Amino acid sequence: MNLIHDIWRSIVRRDPLSTDKGKSELVFLNVWLHIHPAKVKKENMKFRHSFYLGFITFFLFLILLTTGIALMCYYRPYPPQAYQDMKDLQFAVFMGPFLRNMHRWAAHGMVVCVFLHMCRVFYTGSYKKPRQFNWVVGVVLLLLTLGLSFTGYLLPWDQLAFWAITVGSNIGSYAPLVGGQLRELLLGGHSVGEAALLRFYVLHVAVLPSAIILLTIVHFWRVRKDGGLSRPVWKLKAKTETLVTIGAPPAVAPLQATAASKDKTYGLMEVVTGKPIFETITPEEEEDTVFSYPYAFVREAVVLMGTVTTIMMMSLFLNAPLEQLANPAKTPNPAKAPWYFLGLQELVSHSAVLGGVVAPALMVLALLLIPYLDRNPSRRPADRKPILWLFTLFVVANLILIVIGTFFRGPGWAFVPPWVHVTGGVE
Amino acid sequence: MERKLQQTFFALSILALALILAAEWQANTPSWKTYQRNFLQLEAQDEPNAAAKSAVLATPLEIHQVMLTGLQRVDRCTTCHLGVDDPTLKSAPEPYRYHANLGPHIASKFGCTICHGGQGLATDKESAHGNVPFWPSPLLSAEYVRASCGRCHKEGDVPGVPELAEGRHLFETQGCRGCHKSNGVGGSIGPDLSEEGASLRSPEWLEKHFLAPNEVSSGSAMPNFHFTKDQARALTYYMLSLTNEDMGSYYSSVRLIPSPQYGQELFTEKNCIACHSVGGVGAKTGPDLLGVTKRHSAEWLDEQLVNPQLVYPGSSMPEYDLETNARKALLAFMTTATPEDAQSIVAGRKTALKPEDVAIEAGKQDFARFGCVGCHGTELQGGVPNPNAQGGEVPSLLHVADDYTKDEVIAIIRDGKAPPLDNPAGPTPPLYMPSWKHVLSDEDINRVADYLWSKQQKKESW
Repeated sequence: MNLIHDIWRSIVRRDPLSTDKGKSELVFLNVWLHIHPAKVKKENMKFRHSFYLGFITFFLFLILLTTGIALMCYYRPYPPQAYQDMKDLQFAVFMGPFLRNMHRWAAHGMVVCVFLHMCRVFYTGSYKKPRQFNWVVGVVLLLLTLGLSFTGYLLPWDQLAFWAITVGSNIGSYAPLVGGQLRELLLGGHSVGEAALLRFYVLHVAVLPSAIILLTIVHFWRVRKDGGLSRPVWKLKAKTETLVTIGAPPAVAPLQATAASKDKTYGLMEVVTGKPIFETITPEEEEDTVFSYPYAFVREAVVLMGTVTTIMMMSLFLNAPLEQLANPAKTPNPAKAPWYFLGLQELVSHSAVLGGVVAPALMVLALLLIPYLDRNPSRRPADRKPILWLFTLFVVANLILIVIGTFFRGPGWAFVPPWVHVTGGVE
Repeated sequence: MERKLQQTFFALSILALALILAAEWQANTPSWKTYQRNFLQLEAQDEPNAAAKSAVLATPLEIHQVMLTGLQRVDRCTTCHLGVDDPTLKSAPEPYRYHANLGPHIASKFGCTICHGGQGLATDKESAHGNVPFWPSPLLSAEYVRASCGRCHKEGDVPGVPELAEGRHLFETQGCRGCHKSNGVGGSIGPDLSEEGASLRSPEWLEKHFLAPNEVSSGSAMPNFHFTKDQARALTYYMLSLTNEDMGSYYSSVRLIPSPQYGQELFTEKNCIACHSVGGVGAKTGPDLLGVTKRHSAEWLDEQLVNPQLVYPGSSMPEYDLETNARKALLAFMTTATPEDAQSIVAGRKTALKPEDVAIEAGKQDFARFGCVGCHGTELQGGVPNPNAQGGEVPSLLHVADDYTKDEVIAIIRDGKAPPLDNPAGPTPPLYMPSWKHVLSDEDINRVADYLWSKQQKKESW
C-alpha cells in the first residue's frame, strides 16, 4: 500500500487539490502549462485569428513522426530493395498502403500549412517587435520542412523520386562557386545513386528531424516568452505602444526593487527597472483572459483530432503515387522537381541563373530579413498596405509559377494545357 | 461554446476510431483472400467426409510467394493461382488451373513473371497482371509469351520457338546495328535496343513497327524493310527477349547442346573456307583445320574465335562476334570435319577461291556486323528511302569506283558524310553516313574498302 502511494507520489508530486498549495502546484509543476501560459486571452483563441495553422503544422509533424517510425521498420535504404519495400508496403504489409498514404499526405499537408502559417503571421504583422527573431526561427523551420519533404521524396526510389531529385539538385547546382560542390556533398557523387539514397535517408530520418524538433522547442518557447500569440489585428488600437527592451537600466538609477507596475508580467518583475521585452497585458485585458486548461487545451485537442481525421480520410481513398523503378537511363519528359520547387524550375527554364541562384537566394534572404527591414511599427493592416500588397504579389507569383510548372508543362518543357493529351511522354 | 467544443472533440475521436476500423477492414479484405476462400471451397467439395471438409476450409489464408534470388524476383502469383503445380486441377477454372507442359520450368524454381510478365510482387488482379500505370511489363498474351524463352536461351535454336533464332538472324543480317546498338555494338541513329524487352512498348506496337515504321511512330527515320508478317513476328519475339536483367548463374547457364550441323552451317555462312582448309581442301592463307581440336585445348580455340589478335598478334583473322553456343557448335563441327565436308562447301560457293578473299571476307564481315547492310543493302544495292537526299534514297555502292578513289571512300567511312540535298530548302534527310573512326580500326576500314572494290560492277553502257 505504501509502495503504491510512493509510486503515485513520485509521479504526481503536487499536494492534494483541496489545499491552496496543491492548486497552485497543479500549474507550477506541469510542463504543458509551462509551454502554454497559465492564462490566455480569449480573443487570441478565436479561430479566425490564427486558424490554428501553427498547431495543425505541429500535429502533422507528430503524424509524420509516428508513421515515419513505423515505415522505417519496412524500409531498406539501398537501391533495388528500397523500391521493392515500397511494393511490399503496397501489397503485403498489413495496412501498409494506409501507413504510407498517411505519411505522404501529412508531408504535403505540412509543407502547405507551414507556408499558410507564415502567410498568417505576415498578414497579421506578428513578426514585429518583439517577435522578430521567432520569425527568423520560423523561416528556418520552413526550410527544414522543405528539406525533409525533399529528402523524403527520393526514398521510394521510383522514376518520380529519382528524376524529381535529379532536377531539384540540378537547380541547386547553379549557385556560383559552391553550387556544384554542395550538390556533390548532398548526393555523394556526380549523380543520384546509391550514395545519394543513403545520404537522403540519414538526413530524412535523423539529421533533419532532430534539427526540426530542437528548433520547434525554441519556436514554442519564444512564442510563450514573447507574450503568447499576438493580439488579433481587430483588437489593435490605432496608436501602437512602443515596447522597451530590458537592457542596461538608466545610468542614474541603481538596480533596485521598484513598486509593481500596472502591467502584469511573469518576468523578473519588481527587480529591474524598465518594461519587459514581451507583450504585456493591461488590467482591462486581464479580465478578458481564461485559464489555458481547459479552454485552450480543448481547442487544441479539437484541432488535433480534426487534423488526424482529415489525413486518415484522405489516406483511405487517395493512394500515394508510385511509378516504375528508378532508371537513370530513361529520362521522363518532362522531368519535374517536387511541386513546391516547380516555381523555381519554371524560372530555371527561362534563366538558370535567375531560377537557380538569384530567385531562391533573394527569397530566403528577404524572408529572413523581413522583420528587420520592415521599420513600420504598426501591425494594423490599414497602416501597412504597400508591404501587404508586395507580399501578396510574392505569394501569388509563386503560386502561378507552381501551377504553370505543375499543370501546363509538357515534353521539352513546352507549354501544354492540362486538357491536351500528349502521347509519348516516356522515351 | 465550451460544451460544443467538447462534443466536437468527442465526435472527432469517434470518427478517428471509425476511420482506423475502416482502414483495418480495407486491409483485412484483399481480393486474394476471396480467391483463396473460393479455392478452399473447391477443394473441400472433393473431400469424402465432413471432418476432412472442415479441415480443408480451416486452412489459414496467407500470401504465397516464390523467392527467386537468382532472378532478383519475388513472385506472389501463386497466392491466387493455387493449382499451378497440382496435376489434378487440369480442368479447374482459372485462376486455379494446373500449368501443363512446364518441363523443367517449375514454378518453385522459376516463378511466373520471368516468362509471363506482370507484377510478381502484387497481390491484386489488376496490379499483378500489370495492367496498371507505371508497370512496364504487363502480362504477355498467349501469342507472344514464348518470346520470353529467349531471355535465358539467348543463343542457338530454342525448341518450339523458331521465331527467336529467326529474329536474331534477321537482326544480325539485315544491318539493324547500323542504326541500333545492342550490347554496346552498333550505331546511334535509332534507340539502343539492349533492353528493348523491358521497355514500355507493347508487342503489338513492335510488330506494327516492323511492318510499317511510320504508322506507329510518325517521322521515324527507320526505313520500311518490307518484312513479311512472319519476319515481323520473329523480330518482335527477338526484341521481347532482349533484357539486361541479371539472370543469375543458375538461369544463364541454361544452354542448348551445340550440334556439329549448326557448326557446319556457321562455317559455311561465315565463309571460313576463304582462308582455311580442311585436310588440304580450301584456301591456304590460314592454318589447315583438320584435327585442330586435337592440337589445341577447347579454351584456346574459344579464345581464338573471340579475340584472334590476343592469341596471335597481327593475325589476319577477323573478329566474328559469335555467341558462346555458336562457338561451341563450330568446335563441335571441327572435331568431325572431313575434307569431304570442305569439298562440299567449296562446291557450294558461287566464285572460286582467291588469295584476296582474306581481306575481302574480313571486310564483308565488318560490313555486315557493323550494320552497313541496313542502309546499303546486303548486296550493296542501296535503295532505302531517304527523303530529300539526292535521288531520294541511300545510294548503291556497286558503282562507287566510278566516282571516288579508294582513299576518298576510306575518308568517307572514317569521317561520315551528310547526304547531298535534293532540295536545299527542304528538310534534313533522316539518314546520314555516320563517322566510323571510333568504332572501326583503320585496318577494318581498309578491308571494308577492299570488299567494296571486290564488288564493283562495270557501268552499264547505253
